[in-house]
Amino acid sequence: MLLIVAACTKDEDEPEIDPNKPNVTDTTTTDTTDMATAVHVVLDSLPYPNLADYNFFIGDNMADLEPNDELLLYEPITQLFTDYAKKTRYVWMPEGESANYVSDFESFDFPNGTVLIKNFYYENVLPSNERRVMETRLLFKREGEWEFADYIWNDEQTEATFDLSGSSKQIDVILDNGESLSINYKVPNDSQCITCHKINESASPNGPKPQNLNADLAYQEGVMNQLMKWAERGFLEPTYPAEIETMVDWEDESQTLQNRVRAYLDANCGHCHKQDAHCSYRPIRLAFEENDRDNNIGVCVPFDEFVPGQPMGMENIIDAGNAENSMLIYRMLAEEENVQMPLIGKSVIHQEGVELLTDYINSLEQTCN
Amino acid sequence: MKKIYLSFLTILFLGALSAQNTCTEALEITAGLHTVDTVDGTEIPLPICAGNGLGASNGEWYLYQPTDTFEVEITTDLAQNSGGDTRLHVYTGECGNLVCVDGDDDGGDIGNGYLSILEFVAYPEEAYYIAFDNRWNGNGFDFVLSEVEFVPPPPPVPALFPFTAQPLDLEGSLRGVVDMDGDYLDDVVSIENDEVHLGIQSDFGLLMTSLPSVSPDNSPSWSMAAGDVDGNGWNDLVYGGGSGATILFRSEDGTSFDNQYSDEDYEEDFYLFSQRSNMVDINNDGALDVFVCHDVEPNTYFINQGDQTMEFFQGGLGDDDNGGNYGSIWIDYDNDCDIDMFIAKCRGGNNVIKINEMHRNNGDGTYTEVGEEIGLADPVQTWSSAWGDFDNDGDLDLFVGASSFTDGEHKMMINNGDGTFSDITEGTGLEGFEATSIEWTTHDFDNDGYLDIMGGTGHIIKNEGDMTFTISDVDFWNGPVGDLNNDGFLDVVANGNVHYNDGNENNYLKVNTIGTESNWNGIGARITVYSESFAQIREIRSGDGFRYMSSLNAHFGLGEDTQIDSVVVRWPTCNVDVIYNPDINSTLVVTEGSSPLSADTEPEVSLKVYPNPAEGDLFIDSSENLIGNRIDIFDIQGKRVESQILNSNSIDVSKLQSGNYILQVLIGETAVESKFYKK
Repeated sequence: MLLIVAACTKDEDEPEIDPNKPNVTDTTTTDTTDMATAVHVVLDSLPYPNLADYNFFIGDNMADLEPNDELLLYEPITQLFTDYAKKTRYVWMPEGESANYVSDFESFDFPNGTVLIKNFYYENVLPSNERRVMETRLLFKREGEWEFADYIWNDEQTEATFDLSGSSKQIDVILDNGESLSINYKVPNDSQCITCHKINESASPNGPKPQNLNADLAYQEGVMNQLMKWAERGFLEPTYPAEIETMVDWEDESQTLQNRVRAYLDANCGHCHKQDAHCSYRPIRLAFEENDRDNNIGVCVPFDEFVPGQPMGMENIIDAGNAENSMLIYRMLAEEENVQMPLIGKSVIHQEGVELLTDYINSLEQTCN
Repeated sequence: MKKIYLSFLTILFLGALSAQNTCTEALEITAGLHTVDTVDGTEIPLPICAGNGLGASNGEWYLYQPTDTFEVEITTDLAQNSGGDTRLHVYTGECGNLVCVDGDDDGGDIGNGYLSILEFVAYPEEAYYIAFDNRWNGNGFDFVLSEVEFVPPPPPVPALFPFTAQPLDLEGSLRGVVDMDGDYLDDVVSIENDEVHLGIQSDFGLLMTSLPSVSPDNSPSWSMAAGDVDGNGWNDLVYGGGSGATILFRSEDGTSFDNQYSDEDYEEDFYLFSQRSNMVDINNDGALDVFVCHDVEPNTYFINQGDQTMEFFQGGLGDDDNGGNYGSIWIDYDNDCDIDMFIAKCRGGNNVIKINEMHRNNGDGTYTEVGEEIGLADPVQTWSSAWGDFDNDGDLDLFVGASSFTDGEHKMMINNGDGTFSDITEGTGLEGFEATSIEWTTHDFDNDGYLDIMGGTGHIIKNEGDMTFTISDVDFWNGPVGDLNNDGFLDVVANGNVHYNDGNENNYLKVNTIGTESNWNGIGARITVYSESFAQIREIRSGDGFRYMSSLNAHFGLGEDTQIDSVVVRWPTCNVDVIYNPDINSTLVVTEGSSPLSADTEPEVSLKVYPNPAEGDLFIDSSENLIGNRIDIFDIQGKRVESQILNSNSIDVSKLQSGNYILQVLIGETAVESKFYKK
């Protein structure tokens, strides 16, 4: 993952990022940024019709996704699986504004005007084996509420236009492991966005929470802890605690199986299966702050609802020691749209994720009654 | 008192010696309260009998020797331990070679829910080692060991609903049991891409065949419903898919599905996260429309324009921005002869989206949400609700089956007769029923004249006839329901099998409806069957429960009744047909307008009632002596409001509400009628 970041930020022409954003209270500071290259965000006018209107990405070829200096790169330690798409993420805040720490497991309390920017792309799209940017999603905060925007990149990769009505695009890609895969890539509409991004039906970000950011990241000017970088840039009040309960990278095989599983479940399932979220009425709690308990991840917990085709002998969400007889695995492996988990945001099975959960479930030693 | 005294001594003893650091040093205890100061014993309890695996470094050990066979509970789920986090293991065997009896980590409810509760049966010939560990922390806590006399479990009761399974050799996603070849016998419907696989009912069992369809824009992943949308005599299908809904039209010759209409035809990429779909005449123009619940937006519907064209709408029938619409069911809850819609709703978190809704038909094609005022605005997490007249009093009640107990439990809601509902769950035997499911439907599975409930993943709940219910197991889950061998008992297709109902000695009647002014299937028709012991109602519905399509034929169990007085069919147009004395254990086909309830026909026996309008006594004048004959009074919707044996030449009608009525006298097999108006 770090390699991708380096690849996207090593442009030699890129000016150095100014580590010191203007002070919040210093109104005398004049903005020396060239107006032509400054980020353009007038909250009342959002969302703009084109991604180019924001000046988030500069350079002659916008599809290179070279970030404006005012953007700060960030990267969750463990990321959501989206049909093997690669992603880069940036945060932008109005001059002088900063976010506040709330808790280890909740997103920061961001100021109005914050924009979170997420690019989705594939490196090798057939037939010509070219990089293709699929979409750039925005979450922006206006009058205390988060709102969604999505910009769909054209086939020529010259522009991305606003479209929040949802669509799909059939593509064939070559994955990092060399295998080719046919993907019916799904671009979400606004009601799909909020299905996964909400607490008590109010929109909210998922990724930028301390426990999933508290790790080093390779920036243009060197490696640094992300929270420290945010604070240094003035994007985060430096009052956050020194000790943060932090997730691991689910792909880091040096970590314990359980910690990798906990991170994977948080990033891929926790946005719906947590307190006050879309599916919080189900018995599992898969967000990191709650998923350290067997009960909460469904070990020996009977399911509430059966799904069509499910074998009758399958009784528990996780049958300890028996992944094959676990509903969680059954639904991760399902291709029917009403059975698959997650229900939205993916269209192909995440084999590596299934393997991780399978290994973990098979390693559990207790026996479900 | 003696036990408490002993416990007290034990506590003193513990404090003094603290000798329970290892298995061999386990402290012998009896029932009572005990205190663990700190979990610091050197022997880690192994094997691990509870959840959450390795991680403990210390243990505390106790030995318990029951004096009799007891049901033993060991709990740390005590108020004084609130906020604590314990884990416990119970063993038999010898130290160094222990065998798990049971264990618990987070079974408690108090505080954060991380305390422990464990129950097991203890036998006097065994010694039990009880060990706590410091998997989460080593803090001290209290625990209570209590003994209750062991009561052996009752012997298993014989299955109340015996079925015999036969494997179903049909590819695709099983979705329906409904007539597909126009013979009014239920068939099996399973969908696989552009093929509609059918198990056609015949004298030789189910004959497997397939009909091709156009490549459908959506699949019936979330639900399917059936009905004749275009009125060509063949049932069409609606597929409720994850991003849209598609109506598949049957060709004129019935051999294929050669046309479709989807929400995407209305707007490209329109996003419809379908849940329950229904076919129903929403605007009461005589043509079937299609309704589809939207999971995350306001609901959608297709209004029939004729010639296989539809107009698509979103809004006006459940408009919560973020949806929460799971189980729509179209019923006439207020007996006013127009169709209403109830929505079983669901949504995690703290919000109003999860509150169930009732959309009352205003009679002019518009609907008003009245859930709150009629007592059905319930936040319980439910994906479908079972609507039926559970007490056979002439109006629809509902069982609100929970899909999860997060926001409330199952509820039996009884119709008060005035369009409001009361929760009568307590005392019905349904309270405390612990199984959940997204599917809840009601049928009379044992033909005893009372509607049973299917749901809870492997249960049919028997209606005992007095508004008490008995939970019974079946070895299949919910699926579509119909009579697949025409024996008058309802069968279920589920888990890859046809589960044929073994039946019993009870009698039955099945009714098929053919609409003329109303939609061709008679969807929305209300059928009332009057027999000696019962007045039962059913409605023809396309789409009940959550996912499946069940029979469009009305099925009535008659118990031991051997005669049916009359069958009243009230159509969506409010036209009423009455059929007298049909045969039991048969299928009655009723065509709209074929047997109208009317006082206009010239009777062989003269009948006159007066005064008209009537207020108190209504006098009956006839050419025949009617004393000793049965008379019935129907309201204009065909609902029987009074029935008695005539013992004079007048009856008291003072209790009837004001309105038009029809008085009917049965003379032999002939019914003679006269209209009157009650002031």
